[in-house]
Amino acid sequence: MSAALTLARRDLMTVVRSRSQLYSSMLTPLLFLVLLGNGVSKGLQPSNLSAGNFTAYLVAGTVVMTSVFSSTFSSASYYRDRDSGMLRLLLSTPHAPRTLLFGKSLAALVIGVIQALIVLLVAAPFVDFEWQHGVPAGIGIALAAVVLVNLMLTGLAQALASRIQTMQGFHLLMNLALFPLLFFSGAFFPIDDLPTWLRVLAFVNPLTYAVDALELATYAGNDDGFIGLGIDFAVLGALAVAVYVAGLARVPKVTWSGE
Amino acid sequence: MTGFAVRAENVSRRYGQRTALDGFTLEVPQGGVFGLLGPNGSGKSTFIAMLAAMQPADSGTIEVLGKAPSRELLRRVATVFQENTADPLMKVSDYLRFSGRLFGVAPAELRVRSFQLLERFGLGTRANDSVASLSGGMRRRLEVVRALLHQPELLLLDEPTTGIDAEERSVLWRELLDGSEATTVLLATNDLAEADAVCQNVAFIQSGKVVASGAPAALKAGLRRESVRITLTGASPEQIASIASIPGTGEIAHDGNSLTIPTDDASMLVPKLFALVPAAIRSVTIATASLEDAYFQHVRRRTEGTSK
Repeated sequence: MSAALTLARRDLMTVVRSRSQLYSSMLTPLLFLVLLGNGVSKGLQPSNLSAGNFTAYLVAGTVVMTSVFSSTFSSASYYRDRDSGMLRLLLSTPHAPRTLLFGKSLAALVIGVIQALIVLLVAAPFVDFEWQHGVPAGIGIALAAVVLVNLMLTGLAQALASRIQTMQGFHLLMNLALFPLLFFSGAFFPIDDLPTWLRVLAFVNPLTYAVDALELATYAGNDDGFIGLGIDFAVLGALAVAVYVAGLARVPKVTWSGE
Repeated sequence: MTGFAVRAENVSRRYGQRTALDGFTLEVPQGGVFGLLGPNGSGKSTFIAMLAAMQPADSGTIEVLGKAPSRELLRRVATVFQENTADPLMKVSDYLRFSGRLFGVAPAELRVRSFQLLERFGLGTRANDSVASLSGGMRRRLEVVRALLHQPELLLLDEPTTGIDAEERSVLWRELLDGSEATTVLLATNDLAEADAVCQNVAFIQSGKVVASGAPAALKAGLRRESVRITLTGASPEQIASIASIPGTGEIAHDGNSLTIPTDDASMLVPKLFALVPAAIRSVTIATASLEDAYFQHVRRRTEGTSK
């Protein structure tokens, strides 16, 4: 555990020093929120959203998008460690490779959760959240949803990073997999009025349940029209544990020459 | 304890169709510097990777500090890889703190050891600089500092001075050899002059086998002790043939107008050369036998033996 925490601390410090990674994974979603939210709210005047305006509606999706970006960026540290030779050093220590993977994913999880919560807190003063469960409980529910979605995404990124040789290939696959999931999760538009086949896709999409839980925690006045926190957390919890364990299943392999 | 830092008996390892180690047998005594010498692809790195528990053997037995290689044993072993492992984004002191913690060094001891080792290896003023700001030679010294933090009983060095200049190389070896650590150093290298200078014992590796081992002086003992290199102009084939027939000389190597003649005693040979080809000799150079001569003699013998 000490080795995992040492590694997690080092990865956290590296991200703190890497300003571009630190800010870009939060700024891009916030830009979406401000520009797309205001543009659609003012230009299209969506009146049938339960959030009241599109900017408020986008908050939950923006938080999930932040988690997607953060997990993708954090897993890039796997490639940096491989290319700098650090991975070989780690594998020449007395610790099991899985312990080291755990340490790295712990850092990715902490970064993802903090960034997602920062986005939520930055957005909160500018939108009219109803906090139907009260502010402390609402924040607690949001925190739980954010932790679970980041656990799942970190596990997914870890699983892919240990199997894909190049960072370019990794980013390509993450974007290919996660952007469609983000679009059909209710992050940018409600899924209720979509054609049936798209609604089916939305309901098999794990991000849908994260968006739903965040909407219920923040702006929803009641549970009508939502999937419900019980199902959201059951799906997110099961998937988060399963994907995270899958992410730790394959230990990194590196040859003596570092390839 | 066996009295040996490393023992390997009949170790084999294959990667698909390629044989990396083939009946590899070696004993490395405790203390001092032991050199594994061989060309690229001869199996040196594969063997070191096995000692560091990063690769298993297909067959045979290996003992490191009296035990089978394992992750737990790595608390007593350190490795310096051919390439640097320090994250360029980290500060030197952060990198050492991070590495030391992974090897279980207590924080207070880690601070003292880091300070002492950085001072010793001439990096005392760079503790708060980023790794990226260090020169190539400094980074190699930092790798050795990192490896010595947990006071390993066995230090595995895989071509540690590749790509650094002679002065940096000299500083690195001087500080490493002058240290108080009771460490056995196993050095894998293809730099024969470096091995001759720093190793008490060496093993010549070829095609995954140890073809000869012992102290450099002992390995050189069976050789012609000196060689005479002469540059000729206008010498006839008959004159060159007469040089080859001089008693006490070994096999002559031709290189353009130059001949390199192994001999037991250059002072006896040179007058005979001037007597045989008085007008043709333009220059004479005398050299003593090196580990490189011993290496090529053993490797050539092996090649000739296997080709028959």
